[in-house]
Amino acid sequence: MVQEAAVGADGKPRIAGAMPVTLKINKKQYSIEVDPRTSLLDCIRENLAITGTKKGCDHGQCGACTVIVNGRRINSCLSLALMHDGDEVTTVEGLGDPDHMHPLQDAFVECDAYQCGYCTSGQLMSAAALLTEQCGHSDDDVREAMSGNICRCGAYANIVSAIQQVRSKS
Amino acid sequence: MSDNKDSNPKQKQSADHKQSTNQKSSTDQKPPANQQPAQTAVLEPKRTSVGHETRRIDGPLKVTGKAVYTSDHNFPGMVYAVPVGATIANGKVTKIDAAEAEKMPGVHAIYHRTNIGQLFRVAPDSTFTAYTDEPRPPLEDDIIRYYGQYVALAVADTFEQAKAAADAVKVTYQEEKPNVSPKLTADDKVKVESHRGDAQKAFDSAAIKLDETYTTASQTHNVIELHATVAVFDGTKFTMYETTQGVVNHKNVLVQVLGVDPENLQVISKFLGSGFGSKITPWSHCALAGAAARKLNRPVKLVVSRKMSFHAVGHRPRTQQRVRLSAQPDGKLTSIQHDYFNHTSMLDDYKENCGECTSYLYSTPNLRITSALSRRNVGTPTSMRGPGAVPGLFATESAMDELAIKLKMDPVKLRIINEPTIDEGLNLPFASRHLIGCYKQGADLFGWDQRDPRIGSMKKNGLTLGWGTAGASWIAERFPAEVAIQLNNDGTARVSSATQDIGTGTYTVFAQVVGDKLGIPIEKVEVVLGDTSLPAGPLSGGSMGIASIIPATTKAIEKAVDTLLTAAVQSPLTKFSGAKKTELALTNGNVHRKDQPSKEGVPFETVMQQVNLNKISGKASSPGTFSGKKQSSMHSYGVHFVEVTWQEELARLRVSRVVTVIDAGKIMNPKTGRNQIEGAIVMGLGMALFEGTEYEPTKGAPINSSLADYILPVNADMPKMDVHFLEVPNTELNEYGARGIGEIGLAGLAPALANAVHHATGIRVRNLPIRIEDLMGEST
Repeated sequence: MVQEAAVGADGKPRIAGAMPVTLKINKKQYSIEVDPRTSLLDCIRENLAITGTKKGCDHGQCGACTVIVNGRRINSCLSLALMHDGDEVTTVEGLGDPDHMHPLQDAFVECDAYQCGYCTSGQLMSAAALLTEQCGHSDDDVREAMSGNICRCGAYANIVSAIQQVRSKS
Repeated sequence: MSDNKDSNPKQKQSADHKQSTNQKSSTDQKPPANQQPAQTAVLEPKRTSVGHETRRIDGPLKVTGKAVYTSDHNFPGMVYAVPVGATIANGKVTKIDAAEAEKMPGVHAIYHRTNIGQLFRVAPDSTFTAYTDEPRPPLEDDIIRYYGQYVALAVADTFEQAKAAADAVKVTYQEEKPNVSPKLTADDKVKVESHRGDAQKAFDSAAIKLDETYTTASQTHNVIELHATVAVFDGTKFTMYETTQGVVNHKNVLVQVLGVDPENLQVISKFLGSGFGSKITPWSHCALAGAAARKLNRPVKLVVSRKMSFHAVGHRPRTQQRVRLSAQPDGKLTSIQHDYFNHTSMLDDYKENCGECTSYLYSTPNLRITSALSRRNVGTPTSMRGPGAVPGLFATESAMDELAIKLKMDPVKLRIINEPTIDEGLNLPFASRHLIGCYKQGADLFGWDQRDPRIGSMKKNGLTLGWGTAGASWIAERFPAEVAIQLNNDGTARVSSATQDIGTGTYTVFAQVVGDKLGIPIEKVEVVLGDTSLPAGPLSGGSMGIASIIPATTKAIEKAVDTLLTAAVQSPLTKFSGAKKTELALTNGNVHRKDQPSKEGVPFETVMQQVNLNKISGKASSPGTFSGKKQSSMHSYGVHFVEVTWQEELARLRVSRVVTVIDAGKIMNPKTGRNQIEGAIVMGLGMALFEGTEYEPTKGAPINSSLADYILPVNADMPKMDVHFLEVPNTELNEYGARGIGEIGLAGLAPALANAVHHATGIRVRNLPIRIEDLMGEST
């Protein structure tokens, strides 16, 4: 059978052809080597074990992997990690933690804007970006702006309520 | 009509209270332990969250990324597995060339039939305790029966390496033409599911009749959490992190497939990214990951890709249903015939039981229901939210609407005229049936009396409105369940069971029940689920989870409280020393004399501290309801009223408004309950308008196998939704009178929508999903 890969200084197997990249995730800097084929999503989840960001399709069709890069929301599965050298990446962990929730996180809990919770990180990151985007005031405007994030449990009405609750207070 | 069916249970309940009160005055007769909470309940108001809008206790974890789902697990030395799927749908593998793939960087192994080791079949099971829809283990033989069937597995240090290696495995096939035809015929003899009278004779002689065939497309669950397994093997024991709606069932299947003893396999699923049926039973990838972990003695992560999930993890099969109805001119049904087929996979006899509700939904002296299977080169079908009833009701409730039009009768009136007084299929009384109540309330809230039945006659803002309605029903049953409770000397309680929260709010309902019974805030209740090392809990399926766990939970609490009170009277160190246990109760978290209010008592943790007890445990089980003779017909009911808007010039159809009334007994948490029904309406909209897995006829592949091509409803598709619960508790399943609400909200939505489309356009669409091209033809 096949020879096991050589082990690097960090104790992890050395990845053939890996290249260095520095990512700033939730204000913390990570200098790592990644396989050039690694998506930003897989880099965050598998290489750095920051697992709040989820994979739902790996094709940019469901929005579960939404993160904010330099202030703009993107599907992290459609972007290679190496393309983000020096970029500021914010994931759901960067919004708040259970004891210090971001107003959007609290509103999601209060409005029950989820069921299984799997698409929730992506919904929240889209919502967080939406707060800074040009978006009309109506529920329909929010629905349109949130339609890149699929919720198979169908908690859409509550997602809109949660976002509007935060927008009305800010 | 039948809105008084609960009088007996209600009387029974009040009789129980009376009995408890009598026992209070009798000091020497030891009452059964389980009477005590009810006894104190009548004394003073209880602190409870049951029935109140309650935030999910796991909510803060879910919104901060701290809830750990299966594929979030990472372990030292973990490797990644990517399956290789067949690129034909019928034939056999003649050669697998893995030489190039094995030499690729980071690759540990390429497994296929000859080197993965033996994997075993699952013994037949009808109890849902060791059940799988696909008993053939992966790589058992070289025959390919569906597109994407696993033929090999690449394992490498990283996901990227494993994916590249899987792509480099060269598989040679001997290909035959697949059969994925959507036209269904019976492969075997049809099975008579239910019959009474002579339906054909009544139909033949009737003046008013309807004979139509309806079809529903294959649907893929497309839960957003991809199916995954992280398998950890320590040389003896497996720890399997799984995406499962039933950790216990999952374990009982995998010990058979992997050939290990039960004590050497543990299944863990703390958070599940929903299932809708696709995660009820384990699929082939679980065994592949386990086998690879055992071979390599390393943790293995295997995530099933979105594309693979269109064939590898179940789907709702295509159905084709002929419905024949006959009626008298006054609308009274004289016969119902419901004959249905569903496609299934080559090896698995999965039946989509479309006639589930047909035998009891309406009164008719003559009825015949038959089923049959059509085998196709498709992956194994499985339960999808409301299996059987959901596609079945599309056919029967569309047919009722068509019949109402033939009769020139309001469709709600037609339902009222045909409301049965008993379950005529089982010849049993209904335990609780308020379908007419749902229609009346729904019609009122929707404004149904304003409906002009003429096609396309109703206009608003330049759009044509269509109003449609349909009814729904779903089973109400209980699985066996075992639950453990633990009172802690810091005033908290821990409740545990090997069941799981699939997104329905099970964690929170457990906390509510424990909080209610002990009289403590839910913040003081720790709920531990999703681990087979805990007492065996139920599957999360069939809308049966909550109904199943309540009796075992309350019994376990009663046992723990009995032990607490025993300790309180036996110890010389408490103020209750020497009292009779029967003189004490636990109310609002305090141990107190029954003849005194609870505030005169002592917190239970203080009693435990005084006696120097760290914890007090209670464990109990409750039986399921499937075995034994039924005394009544127990179901949930519901009604949807749907408004669509139709813009003929642009062929633009939108769903603008849905009013839904659900009769599912007590709603334990209206906040999560309403959300669940709204979510079902969303899924129903998808079923009616968007969703269908298309099998390409020459290669047999599900061709729209992505979330761009298999269309799911998004936020912008949402109608205005107005959900109401009748909340008539019936205590036959449990003391709160809670049934389940996971499925009932989806049942009936698609026909209500199709009926609304007909009202707007005059076009009767009998094949789901309704497509724009269907609406661009002539009126029917």
